[in-house]
Amino acid sequence: MKRTGPLFTLLAGLLLALFMLSLNATTGTKPASTSQADSPADKVSPSPAPTASKASPSPSPSATPSPSPTRVSAPNADYAGRTDDDSSAVSVSLRDGRAIAYFCDGRDKESWLKGDVGADGSMKLTGDGGSVLNGTLKGGSLRGTVDIEGGHYAFTADKAVKPSGLYRATATVRNAEVDGGWIVLSTGEQVGILKRDGKPAPAPRIDPETGAVTIDGQRLTARPVTP
Amino acid sequence: MTVDPNAATQSFPPRPPAPSGPNAARYLVPALVAAAVAVGLGAYGKVHDPEGTAFNLAGFSSTSAVKSWLATTAFGFALVQVVSALMVYGKLPGPGWSAKLHRWSGRIAFLVAVPVAVHCLYAFGYQTYDSRVMWHSLLGCFVFGVFSAKMLLLRWDRLPGWLLPVVGGLVFTALTIVWLTSALWFFRNFGVTT
Repeated sequence: MKRTGPLFTLLAGLLLALFMLSLNATTGTKPASTSQADSPADKVSPSPAPTASKASPSPSPSATPSPSPTRVSAPNADYAGRTDDDSSAVSVSLRDGRAIAYFCDGRDKESWLKGDVGADGSMKLTGDGGSVLNGTLKGGSLRGTVDIEGGHYAFTADKAVKPSGLYRATATVRNAEVDGGWIVLSTGEQVGILKRDGKPAPAPRIDPETGAVTIDGQRLTARPVTP
Repeated sequence: MTVDPNAATQSFPPRPPAPSGPNAARYLVPALVAAAVAVGLGAYGKVHDPEGTAFNLAGFSSTSAVKSWLATTAFGFALVQVVSALMVYGKLPGPGWSAKLHRWSGRIAFLVAVPVAVHCLYAFGYQTYDSRVMWHSLLGCFVFGVFSAKMLLLRWDRLPGWLLPVVGGLVFTALTIVWLTSALWFFRNFGVTT
């Protein structure tokens, strides 16, 4: 005997999936989404910012057709810099064709982003909450955009020499999970956020030479981040 | 919908696997479909360029929060699945409608999990950059494959008695790990937020 109930269940799931997918596809291309606070980035041209037009030769199409095993990876290096509006800092660490980036405004907006780097030095990194970093390596610097929580930021990050770069420290301090991220810029400035049980706040300064930082009376070590 | 799919396997002694003939299809088809679904989802997630973004639901701060709550709902119904299955098999005392409870909690769990999976595959794709993400990607694809197999197996009577519990247990175990590596991780890192 054959039952049809389970088949209907599967069919319903399939239809729901297709429905969601079409919804995603249509909202993604609409220039002005009607309902969302974190409206999606215009995925056709990743640089609608007025400043970034000439420096970013649309990284996404070039990244797509290269999952080939024999890719030449971009050289290992760290990059750190500020957004064009000077509100936030961005730092990216490249190792063996992979990249990890940290976007941080020093107050409450931050994201860790990860992804692959194409042979041509283009990258599309993604992080939690749908944040996206599109960037291209050119000369000694990285130029790109970050879309996070509805904001769109163009940035330039120059090659960073130690101790500048990105640092992270996670620990449990007085029963609270603390998670700190720092960007040390070439000027010696630091931009960091410290989350206690998920609540973001400006981070105390780290000693850039040793990574030592004191959080709520406890001494921790922030370590350089690599992919 | 009139017959309880699980009780049927109880009332017959498990038959030895048929040597040949159409019976082999009973197992082969679900197994092949399961493999196709799991590999297909993984391949889609790997090949297509992650969009990084998708639509959000009103009232939630981020899509990750929406997904975490949907996933937690699915996990809650999955727990109901285990209890109601034990009732259907007579391992726990249960009401007469425990079979119905099992069917409908399973459907709801599945239908709630589908949008989460769609968003994951659409926005992030199949990723392996650390072990949490790797297991999440792998088992996320696996769970929908095994679930498909379970649904197809349910269409037959006289399966070996251990088969449905094992397949159902695989679904539950995989879903649990998928939930632990995503929603629980999200709540621990970002707080129990909407």
